[in-house]
Amino acid sequence: MRENHAGRLAAVDPATIETQALGAIAAASSEAELAEARVRYLGRRSELKQALRHVRDRETGLALNTLKNRVEQALEERASELEETALAASSRDDHFDPTLPGEAVPRGGLHLITQLRRRIEDVFLGLGYRVFDGPEADTVYNNFEALATPEAHPSRSPTDTFYLDDGVVLRTHTSPSQIRAMREQEPPIYVVSLGRVYRRDTLDATHTPVFHQVEALAIDRHITLADLRGTVEHFASAVLGGQHEVRMRTSFFPFTEPSVEFDVTCYLCGGAGCTACGHSGWIEMGGAGVVDPAVLEAVGYDPEAWQGFAFGLGIDRIAFLRHGLPDLRLFWENDIRFLSQF
Amino acid sequence: MMRVPISWLREYVSFDTPVEEVARRLVFTSCEVDRIVHRGVVDRDGNFGLFRVGHVLAAGKHPNADRLQLCQVDVGEGGPRQIVCGAWNFGPGATVAVALPGALLPGADAPLREARLRGELSQGMILSEAELEVGLDHSGILVLGDGLEPGTPLADVLPLGEAVLEIETLFNRPDLTSIYGIAREVAALTGGELSAPPGSDPPLADEEPVAVEVQDLEGCPRYVGRLLRDVRVDGSPAWLKGRLVAAGMRPVSNVVDVTNYVMLALGNPLHAFDQARLADGRIVVRRARSGETLQTLDGTLRQLLPSDLLIADAERAVAIAGIMGGEESEVRPQTTEVLLESANFDPLTVLRTSRRLRLRTESSTRWEKGVDPHAAEGAAVYATQLLAELAGARWTGATDVRGALPERPVVRLEPALAESSTGMSFPASEQRSRLEQLGFEVSDELDVTVPTWRARDVTRPVDLVEEVARFRMEDVPATLPTRKAMFGQLTREQRLRRLVEDVLAGAGFFEAYTWTLVPAGEGKVSLQEPYSAEMAALRRDLEQGLHESARRNANAGVERIDLFEIAHVFRDSDGELPDERWHVAGITNGGYFRAKGAVETLYAALHLEPSFAAGGARSARTPDGVLRELADGWGFFELELDSLFARVPDVPLYRDVITYPALKQDLAFVVDERVRAGEMVGAARDAAGPELRVIAPFDVYRGDQVGKGRKSIAFRVEFQSPERTLSDEDAAQLRRRIVEALAERFGAELRGSA
Repeated sequence: MRENHAGRLAAVDPATIETQALGAIAAASSEAELAEARVRYLGRRSELKQALRHVRDRETGLALNTLKNRVEQALEERASELEETALAASSRDDHFDPTLPGEAVPRGGLHLITQLRRRIEDVFLGLGYRVFDGPEADTVYNNFEALATPEAHPSRSPTDTFYLDDGVVLRTHTSPSQIRAMREQEPPIYVVSLGRVYRRDTLDATHTPVFHQVEALAIDRHITLADLRGTVEHFASAVLGGQHEVRMRTSFFPFTEPSVEFDVTCYLCGGAGCTACGHSGWIEMGGAGVVDPAVLEAVGYDPEAWQGFAFGLGIDRIAFLRHGLPDLRLFWENDIRFLSQF
Repeated sequence: MMRVPISWLREYVSFDTPVEEVARRLVFTSCEVDRIVHRGVVDRDGNFGLFRVGHVLAAGKHPNADRLQLCQVDVGEGGPRQIVCGAWNFGPGATVAVALPGALLPGADAPLREARLRGELSQGMILSEAELEVGLDHSGILVLGDGLEPGTPLADVLPLGEAVLEIETLFNRPDLTSIYGIAREVAALTGGELSAPPGSDPPLADEEPVAVEVQDLEGCPRYVGRLLRDVRVDGSPAWLKGRLVAAGMRPVSNVVDVTNYVMLALGNPLHAFDQARLADGRIVVRRARSGETLQTLDGTLRQLLPSDLLIADAERAVAIAGIMGGEESEVRPQTTEVLLESANFDPLTVLRTSRRLRLRTESSTRWEKGVDPHAAEGAAVYATQLLAELAGARWTGATDVRGALPERPVVRLEPALAESSTGMSFPASEQRSRLEQLGFEVSDELDVTVPTWRARDVTRPVDLVEEVARFRMEDVPATLPTRKAMFGQLTREQRLRRLVEDVLAGAGFFEAYTWTLVPAGEGKVSLQEPYSAEMAALRRDLEQGLHESARRNANAGVERIDLFEIAHVFRDSDGELPDERWHVAGITNGGYFRAKGAVETLYAALHLEPSFAAGGARSARTPDGVLRELADGWGFFELELDSLFARVPDVPLYRDVITYPALKQDLAFVVDERVRAGEMVGAARDAAGPELRVIAPFDVYRGDQVGKGRKSIAFRVEFQSPERTLSDEDAAQLRRRIVEALAERFGAELRGSA
């Protein structure tokens, strides 16, 4: 066998192979023909490859390798020639303009508030909260009394609140949903409510009588104000994106004790001061606090055993500031030129 | 809003902390500080030193101008200065406020200069109170009280210029609606020393009886009345006017100004009656009689109800308690006898009347939050002192009618509670000293006696937690709850709602938000008080809002309009609350069939087989709602989500539509014009059973070939079995069943062969 091989190999003449190969490559007029030539002259069974496998001396090896490189180079050159020719041919095709617009696919989209609402829901789902939907028309009891709101509190005035009758209002905040959620479920409870709320504000660029709120409630064995702060900080960076400093300051709500207000460094100017933040560098984000024991008692939770926090804010205002809108009424006019921007 | 002039604050509390830092700490612990405003003369580069007390030595007509006075004024420099002045309300001997050349006046761009006015040198300016921003009067110059040394810095005599904090107080902190209350807070924040509250009684000149009868001790738990005689009603001194103006109030007369000043200082509103105008000189505190009226100070005739609390004399109403006095008994220039009222009123009583009358005043906003009944006497004392000093009044009689005043609550301090509530360590000693700084008394057994001014708000151990925690807000760490149970998932309805939104958005519809409130009408739940005619009731469906939005887009020239909305709708119910449900609706200017296409896509995405029955004119019903062509040719649909979702399978199961091939055919039937394609589909399905996998109308033809009043409907049909390959005979048999059924029910004739 060896002799045989050696005998056959001795017959390989690089010059002949080169002439044949280069000729075939030059003659190839399509990618398919070129691929054929590549197999024939450089394929595993080609004379050249076989010869290379059995090289014994350096000189032959060098010669054969040089030949191989030359053939490869010729193949590459011819390939790019063919490609250019094909391209030139296709661009001469007057009937196909690849730069014309694509077939129109109707595009719809979710309202900006829905997009933000989902983002907020997803943040709280990730934190292990459920999403609770309550009715928009709710009892005075759920909206005010169970939340320890004194009768003298301005929010209870018919100048501020829409009453349907003496016992039913359009909810002024999403908090009555929390009351419902607590009555429906034993603690621990981690729940977030989002939706429309109603206040008798004059309709103008920065006020609408209907707007959207989100409120989170966590009741467990050892919930603290520190847990509230951690949750709000996570919420701020997850919903607003980027790094934000959050500050917590004393406030008052009838249903929390202590009550706090959260501000976040202005997400337009980064805290330097601009018109959006009234040159303070801070934007009010929302109200919160440790749930008042009176509220826990109102829903039948034992305030000695359970403690928690509640945290609420307006969605519209965040979207308004974040996207640089000039007027809140845009949310309600449904101009498709507006809706399709988001 | 409360305006707190810093010089006034410093009268009650000493502190070295810069004002900006005080404001910052107040924000974290006590109230909102909207901003710090600088008003009056700028205190910079020695500017204050250029404002002096001047003594007018000589004054006379300017030789070249009839309207100007030429004055020689001693400002403590040895020789007098010559000053040209346009006012004539003073003469030689007057003590005045002078600005020297170089002084920067409030609001001025450039400093004052020596100038020649009509040929005479003027080496300064004699000032009006408006020019100094210490009052509003600019009709003449400000004449100061006698006895001031010429050259005295004006800043020592009146509030020349200063920072003013603009504060929003919280609902539970009525004690902060006074300068003294803020001072108490600032003392706790800075460690500064708090002075005793201002005011000490002048000698009681007589022991005249003061006739005060309180018929309603619930509405008026306390009424301190004081009688003052020989009152000289006049303007207030500059310092008093300056403070009122800085605090945002308008000076009126010394007597009225004193009542306002004491209210601002101590938080207890006061009222001064002209005693001579009270019938029988009596005060009766009672509820209004039906039909009773009162002309209030603002000139409005008020109709009163028996729920309104009144201050009356022996005959008629003289004030609406805690809200506004009557015109009839108000103090006027000729008044000499004053009955000073320093009372306490029930918050809810004042609130209800103030709301009903839509009349909110500096006084009512304080009462409705709850003023400390123990403050009434201190306010009376301070006002009496000031009336004696500023109006020469003689104090001749006093009374203090009171019901049972609330006890000071005693609350147990539980030091561990602050730690478990805030999540940070909180030494008991710190809690204790904090409370003591705020005027709480803490016994060795940790029983805390709440000060009267916080008695409404602090009644429980958790309230004490807030009192101490609010000073440490900046220190609270950020942690997350330790969890033993997780709830992080959407409900089925919530997931499906998101799906509906996504499907419609994917079908090219933009989501709209439209108002819940619509015009009142049959079957709608109405608001007790409409917001407007257009917003008076709750919507029963989503059509109106979407239609309006669509029209607005059309008017704006938007070409392709496809909108949808998912929202609550409301109906009257027998229950306590309205019947409230989720609806989805869509509108499109692409016509009825674009709307129907969207609905069909929606059903398909929910794994529901849609069924449509013809409704009224150009409309159809599904089990879940309606589809309609609107008058303007737009397509509209509205579906109820609960109904839709009730039929959605929780887990769609696999059906084999892959293993055995489907046999496809087209079938066309000629039927009467009135026959609906949907009915034929239903009948065909009934006749052929599950092996008829697809039947879909794709063409309707009318013309001579089918005859008048008739039409041809072509259906694409697919037969398929999950169990075997259907043979041609199987297909023929299925097809025969369909043809027979349609012929029998609708008289349908099969057209040619497919």
